[in-house]
Amino acid sequence: MGAIGASFNRMWAIALNTFREAVRNKVLAILVMFAVALMAFSLVLGQLSLHEEIRIIKDLGLAGISIFGVVIALFLGVNLLSKELERKTVYAIIPKPLHRHEFLLGKYLGLVVTMTALVVLMSVVLWGFLVAQGGHHGVIMVRAEILILLELLLLMAVAMLFSSFSSPWLSAMFAGALWVIGRNTAELEAFAQGKLEDTAGGSLLEVLLDLLPDFRMFFVSGANFDETVVSVHESFVSWAYVGSAAVYAMTYGGMCLVAAVLLFRRRDFV
Amino acid sequence: MTAPVLEVEGLRKEFVRGFLRKRTVAVDGISFAVEPGEVFGFLGPNGAGKTTTMKMLMGLIHPSAGKATILGAEVGDLDAKRRIGYLPENPYFYDYLSATEYLHMVGRIYGLDRATRDKRAAELLGRVGLAMAQGRAMRSYSKGMLQRVGLAQALIGDPELVVLDEPMSGLDPIGRREVRELILDLRAQGKTVFFSTHILADANLLCDRVAIIVKGKLRDVGPLGELLSPKVHRIEVLWQGDEALQAQLREQFPASHSSSSEGQVFVAEAQEQLDRFLAAILAGGGEVSSVTPQRETLEQLFVRDAGLSPEEQRS
Ligand SMILES: Nc1ncnc2c1ncn2[C@@H]1O[C@H](COP(=O)(O)OP(=O)(O)O)[C@@H](O)[C@H]1O
Ligand SMILES: [Mg+2]
Repeated sequence: MGAIGASFNRMWAIALNTFREAVRNKVLAILVMFAVALMAFSLVLGQLSLHEEIRIIKDLGLAGISIFGVVIALFLGVNLLSKELERKTVYAIIPKPLHRHEFLLGKYLGLVVTMTALVVLMSVVLWGFLVAQGGHHGVIMVRAEILILLELLLLMAVAMLFSSFSSPWLSAMFAGALWVIGRNTAELEAFAQGKLEDTAGGSLLEVLLDLLPDFRMFFVSGANFDETVVSVHESFVSWAYVGSAAVYAMTYGGMCLVAAVLLFRRRDFV
Repeated sequence: MTAPVLEVEGLRKEFVRGFLRKRTVAVDGISFAVEPGEVFGFLGPNGAGKTTTMKMLMGLIHPSAGKATILGAEVGDLDAKRRIGYLPENPYFYDYLSATEYLHMVGRIYGLDRATRDKRAAELLGRVGLAMAQGRAMRSYSKGMLQRVGLAQALIGDPELVVLDEPMSGLDPIGRREVRELILDLRAQGKTVFFSTHILADANLLCDRVAIIVKGKLRDVGPLGELLSPKVHRIEVLWQGDEALQAQLREQFPASHSSSSEGQVFVAEAQEQLDRFLAAILAGGGEVSSVTPQRETLEQLFVRDAGLSPEEQRS
């Protein structure tokens, strides 16, 4: 086995452990149950609306996966690393024959596996609700769900970056704030170019918006894209769009992980 | 002569905390070496700097200065790490994993195949007396049980060097005896054991040699038998002489002069210095009243420094 294979095996050991810790945590089960409850609630709402059942289930279902996914991503991304430091479980792992970056990347890999499993699980539940109501899931929904997963993976990379140097609560707050800002880049950009035009604050805001992660591109249903409204019901983004969003998520997320590794390497575990 | 398993040279750690940049010197330039096959005790009161030193050796803390070599390699070298097992102080492991799952994970990191992991995990859990609890989530474990998992995970890679930070803490008297037996077993297998303790009796029963650390400074290194027997650290000389002689001797021997109602007091640090000092008194027409060795046992050393943290200075 080559050096890369051995290195992957070590990261996989950490990832597997991270996955087990995550899925056995009751908080996670409760959050997933909330998402499913929201989908069930959409059935009730659907009954109240005339001929719009499928539409409402799709919209609320995707919103549920996204919102609870974000909460889960912040919980996992921040909790799993900070808890290692707080509970001192890391003291026993770092001296083992692995590199510090393998530990950190292994943790992230474990989060990726966990989050992918959860999004697939919630999507399957949504698909079940849709079929039960006589609708169908289709490729457009799959694209929307993949975009949500990409968003969550990027958010977890951002959360890991913060938790590699700061406390759990601060990390969750910073990452959460970045998500809110990243979801509202269009409004903030309009603000910078409108009210704040030609002020120092406006220019600063525009530069910041370019640097901060753009989470808006991952939740496109109902969004205004190049002056056309894109939704999962009619015109929706192409596979090419999903591909370019994936490249963005991987590039931005990759840079966050590199920064997290650099910070994590210098850290004293006291 | 074989190379030392562990060699520490001038290792130092200074913590800088908070807004005021408050500095604490936790480990103050210590040097020692651990030879292959010995049980080496790292002995000192609470807060002496034992854990900090061990964390520097294990790559958890970056030293402020100095150097450490383990198994011929720098700290952090993967091949060296593969031959080391480490038990952290008051260890804690993952809430939702069982001891068996944890040992498997650690075994994977050591690169062991499944059969070896199965065999060693079962063997070690039996060895540390956890066989009945091995499948339970570790959040339900008591402190003593976590300590036992800690010992098992330190040994799963069949290491040549075992580093244990307070291995007896959190255990009842029977558990302590089991750990002592475990350490002696490891020595019988030819392993090197480096462990820290603040309990003299434990060190006394187990160690070939000890290093004594107090307030971040290394006080002594050697076989405990020698260090434990009352040892003359200083010799006090009570003497009389005229003013001129007093001035002359104070100049000639700069340290440790004082006067008491009975005469002049000088404290010699070494035999050779004492001999020269006595000769100088007699040559100058003075008179020696008494020469008293000041003996200090290890307990006294500990008691004197116990509860005192290292000097904290503000920069
Ligand atoms: N993170 C830290 N910040 C500041 N001081 C610390 C820190 N960790 C340990 N110390 C101080 O360093 C000294 C040595 O601590 P430690 O190595 O834990 O001692 P021991 O293991 O011998 O009981 C103590 O005085 C402790 O207060
Ligand atoms: Mg300690």
